Amino acid sequence: MRIGVFFCQIDHEKAINLDQVVKYADNLPGVVYTRAYGVKPKLNAEALSVLLHDYEFERIVIAGDSPGYYKPVFTKAFAMAGGDPEEVQLASFRQHGAQGADAIERAKAILACATYAVPYSLAAVPKGGPVHSATLIIGGGIAGIQAALEIADAGKPVYLIERTGTIGGHMAMFDKTFPTLDCAACILTPKMVAVGQHEMIHLMTNASVENVKGLPGSYKVKIRVKARCVDQVSCVSCGICSEVCPVRVISEFDAGISQRKAIYIPFPQAVPNVYMVDVEHCTYIQSDGQKCGVCVKKCPKECIDLEEKDLLEEIEVGNIILATGYDIMDASIIPQYGYGVFPNVITAIEFERLTNASGMTGGKIVLKTMDVNKRTGAEEWKFDPKGPSPRNVAIIHCVGSRNKKYNAYCSRVCCMYSLKFSHLVKEKIPGVNCYEFYIDMRAFGKGYEEFAERIRAEGTFVVRGRSATVSMNNGHLVVRGEDIVQDKTVEFPVDLVILAVGLIPATGTAELCTLLGLERDTDGWFSELDYNGNPTDTERGGIFVAGMCQGPKDIPDTVAQASAVAAGVLRSITSGKGIGHRSSLMLSEIEARAKSIHTY
Amino acid sequence: MAIRVNPRLIEDLNRFGAADVQMCYHCGDCSAVCVHADDLFRFPRKSMRQLQMGLEKRLETALEPWLCYYCGQCSDQCPREANPGETMMSLRRWLINRYDKTGIAGKFFRSLKTELWTIIVVSLLTCFAALGYHLFKGSIYVYNGPDAFLPAGLVHKFDLALGSLLGFVLIINAFNMWNLSMKPGDDVSIPWWLYLKSVLLLPFHFFTQKRYAECSTTGKSKLFMPWMVHLGLMWGYVTMLVLVMVFLPFLQSGPEIFWPAHIFGYIASIGLLIGVYYFIRSRLVRKYVQYHKSHSTDWVFVVLLALITFTGITQHLFHRTGMTVAANVTYLLHLMCVVPWLVRMPFTKWAHLMYRPLAMYFAAVRRNAYALKENKQHIFFRVVQTV
Repeated sequence: MRIGVFFCQIDHEKAINLDQVVKYADNLPGVVYTRAYGVKPKLNAEALSVLLHDYEFERIVIAGDSPGYYKPVFTKAFAMAGGDPEEVQLASFRQHGAQGADAIERAKAILACATYAVPYSLAAVPKGGPVHSATLIIGGGIAGIQAALEIADAGKPVYLIERTGTIGGHMAMFDKTFPTLDCAACILTPKMVAVGQHEMIHLMTNASVENVKGLPGSYKVKIRVKARCVDQVSCVSCGICSEVCPVRVISEFDAGISQRKAIYIPFPQAVPNVYMVDVEHCTYIQSDGQKCGVCVKKCPKECIDLEEKDLLEEIEVGNIILATGYDIMDASIIPQYGYGVFPNVITAIEFERLTNASGMTGGKIVLKTMDVNKRTGAEEWKFDPKGPSPRNVAIIHCVGSRNKKYNAYCSRVCCMYSLKFSHLVKEKIPGVNCYEFYIDMRAFGKGYEEFAERIRAEGTFVVRGRSATVSMNNGHLVVRGEDIVQDKTVEFPVDLVILAVGLIPATGTAELCTLLGLERDTDGWFSELDYNGNPTDTERGGIFVAGMCQGPKDIPDTVAQASAVAAGVLRSITSGKGIGHRSSLMLSEIEARAKSIHTY
Repeated sequence: MAIRVNPRLIEDLNRFGAADVQMCYHCGDCSAVCVHADDLFRFPRKSMRQLQMGLEKRLETALEPWLCYYCGQCSDQCPREANPGETMMSLRRWLINRYDKTGIAGKFFRSLKTELWTIIVVSLLTCFAALGYHLFKGSIYVYNGPDAFLPAGLVHKFDLALGSLLGFVLIINAFNMWNLSMKPGDDVSIPWWLYLKSVLLLPFHFFTQKRYAECSTTGKSKLFMPWMVHLGLMWGYVTMLVLVMVFLPFLQSGPEIFWPAHIFGYIASIGLLIGVYYFIRSRLVRKYVQYHKSHSTDWVFVVLLALITFTGITQHLFHRTGMTVAANVTYLLHLMCVVPWLVRMPFTKWAHLMYRPLAMYFAAVRRNAYALKENKQHIFFRVVQTV
């Protein structure tokens, strides 16, 4: 076959150096003529047809960044020269990703495929090794739970590791979900129990990833399971240890609004439902066994071992799912809202715990009241179930989000949960005034706009214009802002200010990234392979992302993505082919494959 | 009534220094944080909006830009880095251009080249005029008296002539400003006696710059910076202007010091020196947000003022120490800086000395007019109810 190769480039800056590729094209079988036209050539179909006719080409290949641009003129010329217009092939470098370090090699492969008239995507299918059937899921929030259940229900083993003492993540802290106002725990706890009892799920709480080695299809992962100091099998969660423990620590699960003991259970429905010891605060462990140790003596089942050491486990898995979730930005770095200065300025997650029926006030929304610590004599502001209810509540949107100084991105859930808050406040406190300060109302999901309308109809004052400052005036918090719709500067004296604080990637995301050799986007979230086409895959084959760790999203989207990830994992397991990455492909391999397809 | 928009306005404003207006997404942080924004004159967000939409007519009748002293709080807190403070600053430059019907101001603001060439040409003309005088009369070895290199009487006459010409231009510009911003509008009518009622506000705001003192950054600073420096600079400048315009023969007299006039000059010089040092340093260090971006005219303003202050003080020192030739040369240099400065006065940043207190005064009148209108309505409603 007589083949002619023509190089036509579109722009200077992103174009790759073609010299090597042209040389390579000369040596390809069947190629009798190559010509590099340079950048943005002006081609004349008639002159071209003479050339094509002289050489008696049977196939011509147009190669370049966007060769489709020149296809019409070549097709016309080729037809005039008596060739078959079907035999005009394109070697599109940019479309098939000839960029970066191996751009030249990739360009050669794309060109080789074009001369064989074999689609590049058909020839360049990465081979994967045999896939280990087990899957590792990092993070036990709703995303991790959902993915674990999907995979385990399909009969494949799953290792689910979680940094804290219980699975459930942030969703376990919530009271209601928007827009349906379903009870979050009612959705989540059955799934948590199912994970705890599933025979295919190996649950490791209080654990973290130490090291990852291997290739797609077979990753060897070292996991550190931190000392829990309580035997998981024999503990019956009677709670005596916690009663006698003298150490009080701020509760992470209650977002810091209540206290727990140094031996504790995160919350009553925790999975596994076992007590654990906070090693950093336990008097016995910190004093090397010199002091305390009361819980060991009092435990009726004798299941507490304060001398327990961390455990290192090594497992082999075929795929890894990242579901590490998010953290909430520290609102005290934004000075104008007075978080950390005024006691009754609280964050959204604190309000979630306050309004939660299983929270410390039993779901009663109260103001913080001052209490004098008997031991230190210091003033402490605390939520007291007997405290007064707020009469005026302000909810401020976009705190730290959509702000170039903090997070430039939209945290995506704040508008909706803020509207949910004003519903909860109005539901629980009759006659309360609720003010929502927003910039743009992002009610984008199914039923969200209707929910926003409903909240407006309920009588919440929805103020277009973000409040600028929160200050204290005569013992009242004063929220000042501009109401853009009413064209007024407004000042509302309120009792409680709730800040809809933005979300940031979970602590440890950066370390995990370097450990796995992944990339993060500019905001710090894990990068997916392709936002539209492959939202769950990452650059490395066999590693997937699910939920918030890929970018802010609400619960429905998180669950959907977790299920999608499970489909990807199961695909790789059942097909027996690991999801190799294209960067692992060699030029000779692609060439050979293209040739075999061609002859076939 | 439909309002005509100018979609190119924002591009034009770019040359006046407002570069980031399009970034604004109207959260209202800036207006809420500004101590000067009230229900009648609310800025900077509203002005940003008008600018984005190209409402040229609204903007040129606005007093809001003059009510802002650019303390920088809004730009500090802006989540979009849209720099609302700088936008207000640019609007002031744009308004100076609007109030000036000759179009010279616009040329200066839009092009540094034009401004520099004007300064150089006027400066050289001054130099040639002085040297030409030297050819016929006057001696480089004499500083004061009729045979002087630059005799006080002649300079004084020139000062007065230039001063009255510029005063005339300024009055016309002030009238233009009034015509644009206080024209009996569609919304409220302003009776003449309201102007009389608030007339004292004009000197009050001119001499105290009280609203600058109310800015939040001034409140945070221990030495009431930058209000104190700005005030000192203004006082120094005005004192010096009065001395030069009215008492020039006393200033230029004998080697011995004429204390009744000179004491004011010395105090004014201190104010000028501190002010010029502070503002040049701030613009170089760029610690505060209001000095992050300096328009070319800002630099011309402070640098030329610094040169005038420096040459003025030096020629005075030379004269008092008896170095007549040196004193005469520096005096000529001083004039070469002062004359372009004076000639450009109504067309540059300098004009804010007049426009700002005028705007405060107009704003007060307008506010009173609105209050009057509201009260009348209330009385009317009360009557209806009792009937």
